Amino acid sequence: MKWVLLLGVLALLGAGCGGGGKLGAKTLSQQARSLQSDAAEGALLAEDIFSGRTTRVYTRQHSADLHKAASQVEASLKTAKATPGLEGKLRRLEAIATRVSTELERLGHASKGEAPALRRELQAAAEASQKIGEGLK
Amino acid sequence: MSVKNVLAVALGIMSAIGGFVDIGDLVFNTQAGAIFGFQLLWVVVIGVVGIIVYSEMCGRVSAVAQRPVFDLVRERTGFGAGLATLAASEVVNLMTCAAEVGGVAICFQLLSGLPYRLLIPLAVLALAVSSWVLPFRWLERVFGYLGLSMLAFAVAAIKLHPDWGHVAHGFVPGSHSGGSLMVYLYFVVGLLGAAMTPYEVYFYSSGAVEDRWGVKELRLNEVTAMIGYALGGFLSFALMIVAGVLFLPRGISPQFLGTPALTAEHALGQVGLLLALVGILFAVGGAAVETSFAGAYNLAQFFGWRWGKKERPAAASRFTLSWLAIFALALLLVMTGYDPVKLTEYSVIFSVVALPLTYLPILLVANDHAYMGANVNGKLANFLGVLYFGLILAIAVAAIPLMLLTHGGQG
Repeated sequence: MKWVLLLGVLALLGAGCGGGGKLGAKTLSQQARSLQSDAAEGALLAEDIFSGRTTRVYTRQHSADLHKAASQVEASLKTAKATPGLEGKLRRLEAIATRVSTELERLGHASKGEAPALRRELQAAAEASQKIGEGLK
Repeated sequence: MSVKNVLAVALGIMSAIGGFVDIGDLVFNTQAGAIFGFQLLWVVVIGVVGIIVYSEMCGRVSAVAQRPVFDLVRERTGFGAGLATLAASEVVNLMTCAAEVGGVAICFQLLSGLPYRLLIPLAVLALAVSSWVLPFRWLERVFGYLGLSMLAFAVAAIKLHPDWGHVAHGFVPGSHSGGSLMVYLYFVVGLLGAAMTPYEVYFYSSGAVEDRWGVKELRLNEVTAMIGYALGGFLSFALMIVAGVLFLPRGISPQFLGTPALTAEHALGQVGLLLALVGILFAVGGAAVETSFAGAYNLAQFFGWRWGKKERPAAASRFTLSWLAIFALALLLVMTGYDPVKLTEYSVIFSVVALPLTYLPILLVANDHAYMGANVNGKLANFLGVLYFGLILAIAVAAIPLMLLTHGGQG
C-alpha cells in the first residue's frame, strides 16, 4: 500500500514538473490558439456589453471563466522555456497572455462606456496570438 | 393529434432534448461548428436516423414484450456478457450523469452569480427532489418542454444570416477544410456517439414500460421517436450553424458551457441569452435525471429487482436507492473539481465503445418472432438496423485511437 502511495505521489510530482519543460513549436502553437480563442470570445462579449445584449451576471461569470483560462496559459508560459529559436515567440506570447488575462478580468466589471476599448484591445490581442500561432506552423 | 397525444409525445421530447441535446451535444456540436463550420451537418442526420431506428425498435419491443432493453440484454447475451454490458454502461452513465450535474450547476451559476461549488450540491438536491416528487410523466413534461427554450438557438441561427447555400452543402458528405483529417474523423465519431448514447435507449425503453405502452401505442412509439429525435437533431443543426457563423471566423474554440449561450445573446439579446440558458439548464437537467434513472433501470432489470417510478419508493427500494446513489456518486465526482466539459468528452467517447453491446440485443430481440409475433422487424427496419450496427462497430473500434491521436480533438 505504501509503495502504491509513493508511486502515486511521484507520478503527481512528475506531472507537476512537466509544465516547466521546454516548449516546442506545436505546444506553443496550441497555447497561441487557446489565447486567441479566449481573447476573441472576450471581444465578442465586450461587443454585447456595449450594445446592451447581455446580463451583468452572465458577463461577470463568463469573463471570469475566460480570465481563468487565460491566466492558466499565462502561468504555464511564464515558467516554460522554449526550444532554441522560439524564445522570442514565447516571450511575446507571454506578454500577450498577461494582457489578455488582465483585460478579461476588467471585462467582468466593465461598464458600457469601457466596453469598446476593451473590445479593441482583446481583438488586437487575438490577432497578435493568431499571427504568432501561424508563424509556428 | 389530440392534446392527450401531444402530451404523450413528451417521452420522445425528453429523451431527445435530454439525450440528443445534452451537455455532450452542446460541446461536440459547437466545437465541430467552430472548427469545421457546416461541414459536419451530415453526421447529425446519420445520427438522428440511427437513434430513431433503434429507439423505435426498443419502444416496440417494450410495448409488445412488456420488457425493457436491459431485461433482454441478460437473457440474450448470457450472464457474463450481460455483466460486462452492465459494468460498461454503468461507468458511462455515471460519468455522463456527473457531467450533466456539473452542467446544471454551471447554468445556475450563469443565471444567479452564486459560487459554483455551492451550486453543485444544490443542483443535485434539486434534481433528486424533482425525481422523487414528480410522477414519471411530469418529469418528462417539465424537462422536455422547458428544454424547448433551446429553440432560441434555431432563431439565432436564422438571425445570424448564415450562407444557406453553404449550410445545404454541409448535408452532403465530402472533402473537408479547417482541420486535419484525424480531427475531422474524431468529430464524426464524437457526433455519432453523442447522438446515439446508450442511456437514451435504456431510458426510452424503460419509459415506455413506465408509461404502460402496449400494442395499441405502437403508432405513438413511431411518432414519438421520429418527432422527438428529429427535434433533437434540429437543435443540433442550429448549434452547429451558430458556431459556424459566429465562432469559426473569429477563431473561438468553445471550451465552456456558457460559450454556446453567447451565440443566442449576440443574435437575440438578453431574452435570447436567458432562453438559451434556461433551455440548456432543463436539457442538461433532463439528461442528469435520464442517466441516473437509466443506471438504476439497468441494475434493477439485470438483477431482477422491482423497479419503476410507478412503484412506491419503499416498494422498489433497491431501484430507488440506486438512482439516489448515482446522483450521490455524481456529486462526489463533480466536487473533485474536474471540468464537466472535459468529463463529457471522455464519457461520449467511452460510450461509443459500449454501443455495440447495447444495440445488438435490441436488433436480435426485435427480429425474434417468439417475443415479437406479428410486430417483428420489417425489411426496412432490418436493413437500417444491420447497416447502423455495422457503423456502430466501426466507430466503436475507431473511438479511442482517434481520441488519443488527436489529443481529444485538439489536433
